[in-house]
Amino acid sequence: MDNAFRKIDIDIYDEDVLQEEELFDADPRDPAQVLDDAKQRQNAVRGALARSDVVGALNIVLEDAPYGSKVEEAKTVSLQTLLTILNTTKATEIPGVIRSLSLDGQDTLMKYLYKGMAMPGWGDISGSILLGWHEKLTEVAGTGCIVRTMTDRRIV
Amino acid sequence: MAPEIFHIAQTPITCHAFSADHKQLAVSLNSNDAQIFTRQGAAWTPTETLSEHDKLITSIDWAPNSNRIVTASQDRNAYVWQQTPDPQTGKTIWKPTLVLLRINRAATHVRWSPNEDKFAVASGARAIAICSFDPENNWWVSKLLKKPIRSTVLSVDWHPNNVLLAAGSADMKARVFSAYIKEIDAKPTATVWGSKLPFNTVCGEYASPAGGWVHAVGFSPSGDVLAFASHDSSISIVYPGGPAIYNIRISSLPFVTLTWTGEDSIVAAGHDCQPVVSAASTTTRRTRGGPRAGPGSVGRLNSGAWSTFQDADKRGHTGPGGVKEKDTKLTTVHQNTITSVRPYEARGGRVSKVSTTGVDGTLVIWEADSVSAVTGAMGGMRM
Repeated sequence: MDNAFRKIDIDIYDEDVLQEEELFDADPRDPAQVLDDAKQRQNAVRGALARSDVVGALNIVLEDAPYGSKVEEAKTVSLQTLLTILNTTKATEIPGVIRSLSLDGQDTLMKYLYKGMAMPGWGDISGSILLGWHEKLTEVAGTGCIVRTMTDRRIV
Repeated sequence: MAPEIFHIAQTPITCHAFSADHKQLAVSLNSNDAQIFTRQGAAWTPTETLSEHDKLITSIDWAPNSNRIVTASQDRNAYVWQQTPDPQTGKTIWKPTLVLLRINRAATHVRWSPNEDKFAVASGARAIAICSFDPENNWWVSKLLKKPIRSTVLSVDWHPNNVLLAAGSADMKARVFSAYIKEIDAKPTATVWGSKLPFNTVCGEYASPAGGWVHAVGFSPSGDVLAFASHDSSISIVYPGGPAIYNIRISSLPFVTLTWTGEDSIVAAGHDCQPVVSAASTTTRRTRGGPRAGPGSVGRLNSGAWSTFQDADKRGHTGPGGVKEKDTKLTTVHQNTITSVRPYEARGGRVSKVSTTGVDGTLVIWEADSVSAVTGAMGGMRM
């Protein structure tokens, strides 16, 4: 069957077309400031990890996580920061840590887990560690948390 | 009391509506025809077929006082069906009247207004058709609510004042519109939603924090509170006077339909196959769920599909035999997604029974207060 017609961008003929960025509220912060924040958090997280305060470290990186299209670098820094936390946490501590996160924190953590799993071999991503966190997080937050990750257009 | 369960069909039930006396039921069995069932003792038997649409019927509503049925379909049409004697045989038949909807995409949802002199048809044409009867020409005419809808409208619900209309849409927003028709409506009195209400006034626009298509909307019985269920597995409850929005996150799959049973409680149902009562008050919020698998398991994943996968993984079993027959049965009453929940019976100002139909072809009538057992509290609040 001829399906070349599928490649025609019909949206350019539609004045009323719904754009991707209209589907969520944009981050009011300036991109440069978001990047600064992300870098500062990286240091704050290192400090918290040195005190072996995993919950504190996670809360720092999960709160107001960068999202949207203009903050790619800040997103990368945040993912890196988060991975250092995930990779250094003992498997037995994970359920307790997850339970002490806020609901927003749990949802954002799930977004990062899926982001990480979509980038195998990048940086220090370890599939088995991400899957371990995913299993524990789903036990606490349920499948609803996964649905929110898939639905939310504020992609981290 | 245990819920009453009726296996209506082997096919999915797209939507359902009862007659005022509950002796008759109109359903769309995922087809172009509306099927009317009549209750005979403990069973429902098909008695009549309303066929006029040439694509799937997406929604049916039965006006209790004027005894008229309205059907909406993917063929972009709506019909109003009225019982009239057949001129030849004298037998009572359902006579269709075509409605001029003026939409160029599928009609998705239809509801009669409380006074039954108007109805609203939601559609994929980024519009809602407000239809009223024009006695001069003897047909139903429509007026379109368009702005600021950006995508398919998935559900509508009328405010008790017969003027305001709530709509949930695939552009992630729930909105409250004025559907005031000069020829029909008396000048509406002011409500919490606003006082000046010409046609297409947008009285409010709301979204859930994580977004997602708004599958279902509903005004509370007084009309002062709005609830909507969205695809991010949450219910949002809007108090316009506050103004406050409460967002309740659900730990299971999204709801696609909801109905208020009192000023402070909602029954919602959807992909999780189990209706859930959500009790609302301005201070606390509880969500009560149905019987679930024990702690440590992930919803229902642990039963059928999961053990099939485990068997294949650990023991190399594939195909039937690896899993026992009973393991594929869900622990819930409905065996698939619930597509619609509607109030069934009211007692003392509260809805005492609700009815649900779903993709499993089953109709269930539940006691509204015992829809499910208490399992735990969850909540989230956003001001």
